[in-house]
Amino acid sequence: MSSEFIDGFRRPATQGNGIRDLNPITVLVALASLAAIAVAIPGLLAPTLICASFVVIAFCAGIGPSFASTYAKLFAVVGLILFVLRAAFIPGEQILFEVGPIAVSMEGVIEGARFTLVVMAMCGAVTLFFSLIPMKYLMLALELKGMTPKASYVILASFQSIIDLGKNAKVVMDAQKSRGIETEGSIAQRVRAFVPILAPVFLAAMNETEERALALDARAFNSRQAHSHLVILHGIRTRDIVVLCAAVTLAAASILGALLTWY
Amino acid sequence: MTSTTGFSRLMKSYGRLTIFMIPIGIAINFVGGQIALLLKLPVYLDSIGTILVGATCGSIPGALVGLVSNLLNSITSPTNLPFALLNIMFGLLAGWLAKRGVFTSWWKTLLSAIPFAIIGGGLGALMTIWIFGGLGGGGGAIIVGALVASGMDINTANFVAQIPMDILDKVPTVMIVYLILLRIPKRLYVKLPLGYIYLNKSAAAAKTPAHV
Repeated sequence: MSSEFIDGFRRPATQGNGIRDLNPITVLVALASLAAIAVAIPGLLAPTLICASFVVIAFCAGIGPSFASTYAKLFAVVGLILFVLRAAFIPGEQILFEVGPIAVSMEGVIEGARFTLVVMAMCGAVTLFFSLIPMKYLMLALELKGMTPKASYVILASFQSIIDLGKNAKVVMDAQKSRGIETEGSIAQRVRAFVPILAPVFLAAMNETEERALALDARAFNSRQAHSHLVILHGIRTRDIVVLCAAVTLAAASILGALLTWY
Repeated sequence: MTSTTGFSRLMKSYGRLTIFMIPIGIAINFVGGQIALLLKLPVYLDSIGTILVGATCGSIPGALVGLVSNLLNSITSPTNLPFALLNIMFGLLAGWLAKRGVFTSWWKTLLSAIPFAIIGGGLGALMTIWIFGGLGGGGGAIIVGALVASGMDINTANFVAQIPMDILDKVPTVMIVYLILLRIPKRLYVKLPLGYIYLNKSAAAAKTPAHV
């Protein structure tokens, strides 16, 4: 049992799915290429298909329901605002209907739908990427490509600090409430509550930086030697090359095709 | 090899503590925003960390806090990504203002809300016009839409909606930064690149920040 546990660290890390086990850089380039296709090809079909393909990829990667619900929320909140405002305010000749001073035109609807779908394709690529690849694996992959460990420290420590500070802020907020600070009521009251809640949390966090510096120094963080890692990632394998070639070729063909039809 | 890269050299020139201040600054940006939401305040308060790190560590660390905050924020709301430029500018401006001693008196700090709001509101409005054609994806877009519907030009509507909203946001932001700066202990200031300003010393007297 114990040897199996130790051997787990000697093997490349796996998330138990072929797509999620691709090299993070491969996934990054592939999704960026898909987003580029949505931007390059004019019309509504290409961005719609790209948005749909993200959902299909998510289901194949075993994260379908959670990604689909996040993506649907993004469509409902951001996409809807982008579309409705454009449909309502972009002027056009073919008026569909009028509501008071707002005239909704066919041109506005089409342009609004195109813009929204392209933005959503880009958002989908970002959202899907971070659903597929844990941040620490992306940072490790970038570090192996030559990025300094200090940059990965900044990113990963930020995530941890957000969680820690958030928890501390809630604790201080409850403590201050119990001491009689009003966190509800008029705006002036709520603004006054902001400082006694946040100042202690922020100051404590800033004071901790010294301890962190010492802790990391003790672990040879500033050593000039190459750092060792607890996790091993899959390198670039045949499947990575196939995915990369397919995605980049498709993106290049769509960009070239779009350029040729434009001029 | 890695320790000689540009980022490492840059961080080294700011002293070792700066690299640990950046994640704290990013977390302060997030938590500030979350608490503002929790207290149902009509402001964002999501650039306190950027300005605080800019004021204590310098322009570049401040800008880095701004950049990374928006990058992390864009994981959940990708349409915020282009606005990273604003947060970067806040960090740069905070460092520049700090070197001129702006954050050492309350009234100068209060006045600094104006340039921050001009960047946030003015540049923010310009970016909304360039990138989203004037109609962004946030809650502010509804106000812009309402102004356009009442007959205002879309570009003017963006400025009219965003600059006052930003002044409302930046006044409490800079004042919170000022209150925090007042309470930072001296032993921490000694180790921060711009700490000498708050200890009333000259840059030469303070020398380079002490290594921990």
